[in-house]
Amino acid sequence: MLRIVWALIAIAAAVSMGVIAQSQGEPVNSTWLVVASVCTYLIGYRFYAAFIAAKVMALDDTRATPAERLRDGHDFEPTNKWIVFGHHFAAIAGPGPLVGPTLAAQFGYLPGFLWIVVGCVLGGAIQDFVILFCSIRRDGKSLGQMAREEIGKVGGFTALITVLLIMIILLAVIGLVVVNTLKGSPWGTFTIAATMPTAIFMGLYLRYWRPGKVLEASLIGFVLIMAGIFGGQIVSQSPTLAPMFTYSGLALCFALIIYGFFASALPVWLLLAPRDYLSTFVKLGVVVMLGAGIIFLRPELQMPPFTRFTDGTGPIFAGKIFPFCFITIACGAVSGFHSLISSGTTPKLLGRERHALGVGYGSMLLESFVAVMALIAAASLHPGVYFAVNSPAGIVGATPAAAVATISNWGFPVSTTEMATLAQGVGEQSLFYRTGGAPSLALGMAQIFVQTGGGQAVMAFWYHFAIMFEVLFILTTLDAGTRVGRFMLQDLLGHVSPKFKQTNWLPGMLGTSAVIVAAWGYFLYQGVLDPLGGINSLWPLFGIANQLLAAVALCVATTILLKMHRLKYVWITCMPLVWLVVVCFTAGWQKIFSPLPAIGFLAQADALAAGVQGPTTATLIFNARLDAAVTGVFLFLVALILVDSIRVWMGILNGSTSSKTTETPFVPTKLAEEL
Amino acid sequence: MKRLLAILRGIVDELTDQNAYRRYLLAHGVVHSPDAWREFQDEHWQAKSRRGRCC
Repeated sequence: MLRIVWALIAIAAAVSMGVIAQSQGEPVNSTWLVVASVCTYLIGYRFYAAFIAAKVMALDDTRATPAERLRDGHDFEPTNKWIVFGHHFAAIAGPGPLVGPTLAAQFGYLPGFLWIVVGCVLGGAIQDFVILFCSIRRDGKSLGQMAREEIGKVGGFTALITVLLIMIILLAVIGLVVVNTLKGSPWGTFTIAATMPTAIFMGLYLRYWRPGKVLEASLIGFVLIMAGIFGGQIVSQSPTLAPMFTYSGLALCFALIIYGFFASALPVWLLLAPRDYLSTFVKLGVVVMLGAGIIFLRPELQMPPFTRFTDGTGPIFAGKIFPFCFITIACGAVSGFHSLISSGTTPKLLGRERHALGVGYGSMLLESFVAVMALIAAASLHPGVYFAVNSPAGIVGATPAAAVATISNWGFPVSTTEMATLAQGVGEQSLFYRTGGAPSLALGMAQIFVQTGGGQAVMAFWYHFAIMFEVLFILTTLDAGTRVGRFMLQDLLGHVSPKFKQTNWLPGMLGTSAVIVAAWGYFLYQGVLDPLGGINSLWPLFGIANQLLAAVALCVATTILLKMHRLKYVWITCMPLVWLVVVCFTAGWQKIFSPLPAIGFLAQADALAAGVQGPTTATLIFNARLDAAVTGVFLFLVALILVDSIRVWMGILNGSTSSKTTETPFVPTKLAEEL
Repeated sequence: MKRLLAILRGIVDELTDQNAYRRYLLAHGVVHSPDAWREFQDEHWQAKSRRGRCC
């Protein structure tokens, strides 16, 4: 009977994929994408991941996990698997799986969809699962510690530096998404500004008035941010108030830099903690709403399966489908950042080894499904509208008339009247040149939500609700990331002067906060200044960096599999590793050396130097060369780890390097109860 | 249904740090008080804010 069920699931996956592949000329219903992805996930989980769990890792529920052996009531605590699943999913799901697929929709919905599903099942979920397993068998050690112990000191140090650099690029690029979303939008800016006093109020409420009542404070916070959305509408319609909340990209860039500094330096309970609670609940709520909306309303995809931009001439970011589709979508398919979570809190909470399958592999499948939903939301917009919102003025023309003419000439008809009506419908002055993915995703989400009731009258509310959700989410990542970067820098500087390791030492705290904020702030500034909208430069840089971190994690995982004498199974980690190395190095090489100025940073610098010199030309040239250097550093660092890993692998295989694993010895579990 | 509600409650407690707080109270042998919560909050977030967060 069970075999028949699985056969039906496999047939459903094959039929759905077939329908998607065959529907070239007419809109395809999103249900096919939902069925194809869910069935593929189920098959991947039941057969591929279960095979790895049984044959490769030999997960053993009689073996005590670190949560049991090292139980301390703080970090290590055996916890119910569903609770750990919720915790792990909340930690891995950031803005990436929403923004990346939205941007990659410029190639059409099919390349992104296939990469999200296949990349996740064979790569991303494998990375998360294997690293979680490795960490469980090593007392919950971090990726950096495992890299140092399994590969060597070079690997460990390189992993640390890579993470710090990725963090800086990540914070800059998500900051740019915020800037591009809020520029010229008094409604959005007011709504987001209102979340700050709301978070501080929640912080004080939890600290002094109702200590420990997190759910209560979160509910109050939610009511206040909802009030902020309605307040934003009033502000946007007021001739006096609207100008007070209407800012240029540059002004928002500096506001964000100042905000980042204070968010990093302020006591954590005052801003970061309450915002984190609020953001988590809003995030989970919206993901559930979007999922329910897509499943019940079954929107049709307006975007074709492939667009003309597979040839590399895309307006949102330049570059051919290979390799750029695969670095644009990182979170949702393969994300190196997940390896930090899989070797962070999660391994310290799992009470049974076999729970790693559902938590490590299963959580990633769910995140991948979130990415599919974001892709559906973006692809359900009319392509003309999608490109008008996401294309920078430097590509499509500096006036709305020029922009619609360019986009219509590409074969995606759109008019200024249609865009003006749409902007008016969502309470914005204009929706042109809103690069970064967030506004178009908000439009797509709002179009789905309005169908649940209320019609076009509530379109503006849902649009700004989606904007609030995305920006709140991003700002929480920005706050937390700046603080993590600050601690990492303090740890590094602590090797020079031990005083820096004291996290409450004010000069050290302020100094390192300033350095981290200045670092991502500069990249954000260059993105705002970029005539091509910034996303064209920064998002690929972030994608390359994130995927390279995944390559580092897979190097560690492969080394451990070899030390476990699982040579015949190393293809499981080597397959995604080889793919990521090829994709990232091709993309990195093209970003540095491509002769096309739209792609290659150096060619861009040369073209700027040869062109008309304006007041910002020298800065733009410097920025392009800086981006080339940063890409080069990423490639060099990962090449270093790769070469070091291959040296260790060869040593293990020919017997010159010890294959002694650092796995903790077997201790039988004493946990009787089912967790 | 009861089990599902218990799991949902558990996830909410995990996300609102109530599970971690209960463990803290047990480990320190203290009962809930405003001061205990503040001490927990400082210790818990000091550690939590050092950990990477995904994009």
